[in-house]
Amino acid sequence: MPDNKLKIGIYELTGCAGDALLIIDCEEELVNIFKAANIEAFLMAKSDNNDEVELDVALVEGSVSTEKELEELRKIRKRSKALIAIGICAGLGGMQSYFLDDKDWAKNLKAVYGGVEMIHAKALPSKPIGDFVKVDYFLPGCPIGKEQFLSTFARLLAGNPPELFRFPVCVECKWHENDCLLNKNILCLGPLTAAGCGSVCVNHNLPCVGCWGPSEEANRTAEYKLLLEKGYDPALIKNKMANFSGTSITQFFARLKGETK
Amino acid sequence: MRILKLKKADLYRFLEVIYKEADIWAPQKKGDKFVFDRVDDFSKIELQTTRTIIPPKKIMVPPMFNMFDFNEAGYKEDFSHISKKILFGIHPCDIHGLLTLDKLFIQEYPDPYYMGAREKTLILGLSCWPDEHCFCKSTRTNIIEEGYDLFFTDLDEFFLVWIGSSQGDDLVKLAPDKFDENLSDKDIQAYIRWQNDKEKAFKTEIDFVTMPDLMELKYKAPFWQEAGDACLACGSCSMVCPTCNCYNVADKTFLGGKPGKRIRTWDSCTLPEYSEVAGGENFREDKSDRLKLWYTHKLQAYVSKYGKPSCVGCGRCIATCPVGINVKTIARALEGEEVDAFWKKMSREVTK
Ligand code: SF4
Ligand code: SF4
Ligand code: SF4
Ligand code: SF4
Repeated sequence: MPDNKLKIGIYELTGCAGDALLIIDCEEELVNIFKAANIEAFLMAKSDNNDEVELDVALVEGSVSTEKELEELRKIRKRSKALIAIGICAGLGGMQSYFLDDKDWAKNLKAVYGGVEMIHAKALPSKPIGDFVKVDYFLPGCPIGKEQFLSTFARLLAGNPPELFRFPVCVECKWHENDCLLNKNILCLGPLTAAGCGSVCVNHNLPCVGCWGPSEEANRTAEYKLLLEKGYDPALIKNKMANFSGTSITQFFARLKGETK
Repeated sequence: MRILKLKKADLYRFLEVIYKEADIWAPQKKGDKFVFDRVDDFSKIELQTTRTIIPPKKIMVPPMFNMFDFNEAGYKEDFSHISKKILFGIHPCDIHGLLTLDKLFIQEYPDPYYMGAREKTLILGLSCWPDEHCFCKSTRTNIIEEGYDLFFTDLDEFFLVWIGSSQGDDLVKLAPDKFDENLSDKDIQAYIRWQNDKEKAFKTEIDFVTMPDLMELKYKAPFWQEAGDACLACGSCSMVCPTCNCYNVADKTFLGGKPGKRIRTWDSCTLPEYSEVAGGENFREDKSDRLKLWYTHKLQAYVSKYGKPSCVGCGRCIATCPVGINVKTIARALEGEEVDAFWKKMSREVTK
């Protein structure tokens, strides 16, 4: 029987499937999710997936790292009204995209796989999905957060775009009245990281490692220099900053390299 | 106004009596800092504190709260953050902070969420001693004439207790035997000495008289760009400032037919979204422009409207900003003095 419920597909490319798992983990709301929308495809949750149907919203996790995935992604985009990147890998490329340029990638591929020919799918330098298709919205997080996912889902059903925090973790951290770790010379990436997690790590007295990805205005230069001033090793700072930044950090590192020359 | 004497040992006994009237909120330890929190155990109240991480504005308007539930049928206001409270241990600067918020939240467009909580909160002030960041003497918020129900001045051996309102007087009447009306000359001398010593204890001083003019004259000075370049746009300065009052609202909807919520959260003019309008145009794209707005509000605009700065000298921005942008360093830069702060250093340094 036809109905006017939104048609939604959830897809996984190269990633750890953590975002899909998080959706499954929304246990008490799962019935509501399936009631409110027609979940046409969700490999982790069901076997009767329809991969041809036109979609209202596609949620895509993971980066593109094979030609097969690229083809799949293009098809998803073609039949979806809106496409949402969920998680750091889809939105920014994730750790697998953190290499400096394509030449390094080819070298690394050879070092790891030797001369083996890829039968299943030809490998590509891993990239965020936005490098290939138009992404309408990006839900950050490694993995995404339940509250953020559910409220976004509810907004989409009501025909509204997602409403995400655009400021860094520090704001939420202050709402929780935490004493600033950075001011105690602890390497905290809160100022560079998008809010939305509720500053859970600092609430438990652990520094932010940046798992929500860079905030809109992340002032990397200032925090980098501030951490240098506090005596941190440049390589350590760079590694920490890179962890959840995917390809978005490349430019910053290139500029830094230029400055030090 | 009456001034009474209270023995040190009688403070907790008095608090025990008034605890029956309402929850007491007072400074307590969090790590090596202090926060206002509900008191469950009197021994946890800190009497000799410097500033709390967040000022008591959080009790009047919490950082994040639901304004109302809504559905197709209508809406229902949610005032659940409002309850009768006794706020003990609030310092003069923070009392002035609340008086400033009163002007902003009550005068022109009365805000029921703020007003409701404000009316239900009794203010029991407590004297304090300045640390290196306090400068309430410069903002003249070290002395209070209004805005409290009781005020306790700690003179080591006893408290002098000012009664500032009839509600304060009612509290005293709950335990009249604890308070002594008769102050000896010695007691009065002790108070005068304490006050003189405190005046001399300030290590930070800022000349606020010149600030409105300097804001005007130095509006295009290059140091604003340097501060803007270093600013992390982290909003911390606004969150901790007792006179910052901006907020944002957003609707949250839920699955399963549950009512939606209109969520109100603390905001800051240092954040990118603040000056953005529909269509994506941003009037203050540059962080230096946002900092200018922040400091215009504190040092100039409020002065022209109310005759005094909206900074109450609590020193929280000094203790909080990771890159050292605060009223003290900005005032020094406005005065053309040497500034010892990371934001200034960053502008001089070439990256290693
Ligand atoms: S602890 Fe980290 S997240 Fe919190 S205010 Fe400091 S830098 Fe920001
Ligand atoms: S690492 Fe940072 S962004 Fe991730 S959950 Fe912890 S505080 Fe939030
Ligand atoms: S500007 Fe700074 S010192 Fe002044 S009231 Fe605000 S936080 Fe306190
Ligand atoms: S001035 Fe300091 S505290 Fe305020 S937003 Fe900038 S970096 Fe954060």
